[in-house]
Amino acid sequence: MRDAARLKRLLPYAVVAAGAGCLYYAASGIRYAERAGVLGPDFWPKAILALMLVVCAWQVAAALVSGRAGEASGVLDELIEESAARRGGAAPEPAEESHPWRLVGGMALSALYVWAVTRLGFFTATVLYLAAFVVLGGYRRWGVVAAVSVIGALLLLFFFMKVVYVSLPLGQEPFLQVTLALMKLMGIR
Amino acid sequence: MEDVLTQLAAGFVGVFSPANFAALAVGLVVGLLIALLPGLTLVMGVVLALPFTYRMDVTSAVILLTAMYVSGTYAGAWTSILFRVPGEPIDVPLLWDGYAMARKGQAAQALGWTLVAALVGGLVAATAMVVLSQPIAKVALTLSTPEYFAIIFFGLASVVSLGGASLANALISLFLGLLIATVGVDDTYGAHRFTFGVPLLADGIDYLIVMVGAYGLGEVFTRLERGFRSAPLQSVGAARTRLPALKEILALKGTFARSSLLGLLIGIVPGAGATVASFLSYGAEAQYGRRRREMGEGIPEGIVAPQAAATSSVGGAMIPLMTMGIPGSGATAIILGAFLLHGLQPGPQVFQTSSHIVYTIFASVFVAVIGMCVIGYFAVRAMVRVLEFPEAIISAYVVMCCILGAFAARNNITDVWLLVVFGVLGYLAERYRFPVSPLVLGAILGPLAESTFMTTMISFGNDWTVFFTRPVAGVVMALSLVTLAVPLLRHLLHRRKITPR
Repeated sequence: MRDAARLKRLLPYAVVAAGAGCLYYAASGIRYAERAGVLGPDFWPKAILALMLVVCAWQVAAALVSGRAGEASGVLDELIEESAARRGGAAPEPAEESHPWRLVGGMALSALYVWAVTRLGFFTATVLYLAAFVVLGGYRRWGVVAAVSVIGALLLLFFFMKVVYVSLPLGQEPFLQVTLALMKLMGIR
Repeated sequence: MEDVLTQLAAGFVGVFSPANFAALAVGLVVGLLIALLPGLTLVMGVVLALPFTYRMDVTSAVILLTAMYVSGTYAGAWTSILFRVPGEPIDVPLLWDGYAMARKGQAAQALGWTLVAALVGGLVAATAMVVLSQPIAKVALTLSTPEYFAIIFFGLASVVSLGGASLANALISLFLGLLIATVGVDDTYGAHRFTFGVPLLADGIDYLIVMVGAYGLGEVFTRLERGFRSAPLQSVGAARTRLPALKEILALKGTFARSSLLGLLIGIVPGAGATVASFLSYGAEAQYGRRRREMGEGIPEGIVAPQAAATSSVGGAMIPLMTMGIPGSGATAIILGAFLLHGLQPGPQVFQTSSHIVYTIFASVFVAVIGMCVIGYFAVRAMVRVLEFPEAIISAYVVMCCILGAFAARNNITDVWLLVVFGVLGYLAERYRFPVSPLVLGAILGPLAESTFMTTMISFGNDWTVFFTRPVAGVVMALSLVTLAVPLLRHLLHRRKITPR
């Protein structure tokens, strides 16, 4: 049990250290024309990575030796915690809930949107994304969901293409025609 | 001084041009609303507004963002006082006396004291900003790269020392931010660093993508996991403001002066900001104030101290940005981004080349402080109703603004992929208690830190002791080391206390 807790504490640092090690190796392969007496472009990233490795090694060692990672905390955090403990904090939040599937869904949905927006076009992809995100967030008044996603997507399309002149993705056929029709309707060239 | 006043007067004329005034009004209203909404922070609001400023001219864009920054320090007090729900950490000290006053049936008076404190703090800081900026800019012109590096190092040291549940995590977060800043083609040698053959990475990772991802998307993911549940609110029917009498205000002149000056000084320190100002000012009042024993029981001093300091810190934070081009906080980093997007680099030279822009922005801070108080006085009840909006809908739009902000910066979909990556990274950082602020500040100040360090090494024959032997750089570096040592010393002292021999 104690070993499991120890492993849980040191794991993030071990992962960061492994990543830093790989990047240090990559930094060693940076190619450039050397100049005598001048530090190369690999010096700065290597120095940062070396410092990162030192901090991680310290944390891993602390977790292995004493069973806990180093505990020195930021002054502000201590100040907030101490003050809140002394004087009372905010109104109690509702019982802590965790919705890991919503989180995974939200991340997947965002990635899917980025993939889909160049294919479906900004308007279609945004309507679907807004509606799906609101529903995923637990809101179930379908009329409102439809209204906020369609009106929101139209307003964003109008503002960014007509006012800010951002060239938003138009999409591929047949969705391209939907975007073009809307643009024509809004007077966007 | 006469020259400064003349330029400031011209700045006021500039603020009231239709485009600038419209930007100011929109910035104030949106800033107030964002400060009220749970899950949206002041910095996040300024980040999300940035893409809407791409087509504006630089003055209007910066005025809009600065107005949001100013008003973002104010409206969160309303929910602290009325519902005991602080919009963000800045507002926590306000609930200790503010909510206590509200429970005694003096909510309107508490809101009145908040308004006066924000007004006084804001105006004092704006005045100091105008008076101090030109002399500081003149001094900044005489500084060389070792001094600049030392100042940046101090900013990074203070953000590590201040934030985070663990100093080690804050350091790792900072190193990660500095590393992100190295991605791309190196300026001196043209060498590719960490590009892994991806063409877009050759241009580097824009720090705005890091900010929008880590602050915006990451926060939405965190709240989505919690099911978007906030503390239940009571009715907003009682929300109105009653201003204190002039005699009552004058009786608290010491508190106003102390808090405003403290906020200003904390704002100037890179890495610190409105939250630190708010807490420290409350702490100072509780320790040295005339009615220190009554603090926490619902007295005006407990409202004035944190609010005046929080609003005053905005003027302080603008000083290093405008005079040296060094952003000390998340919000000023975005304002720097707005400057750079429009091809203007803040710093000592800008006072000579574009002083009309500088003084129009300075004048806008005065107008913003007064404007936010006027809006706050008349519209508190209407604005608090925004809390009745479902968070799922607001969050969906926040994500859309993040995506559009990332896309519009370079019109490239790869940036949006990077945004999602940094969103996930921001969530993981929050989950495993790695503070986000050092990561973001590292990504922002990284290029400047590297260039000043490398230039110093070239100029002084790789002699790193120059950072400690030159008077100004040496003092600032010593301060930085002390700043880094403070959390360690506190930790050691704390351990000694709990494990006596």
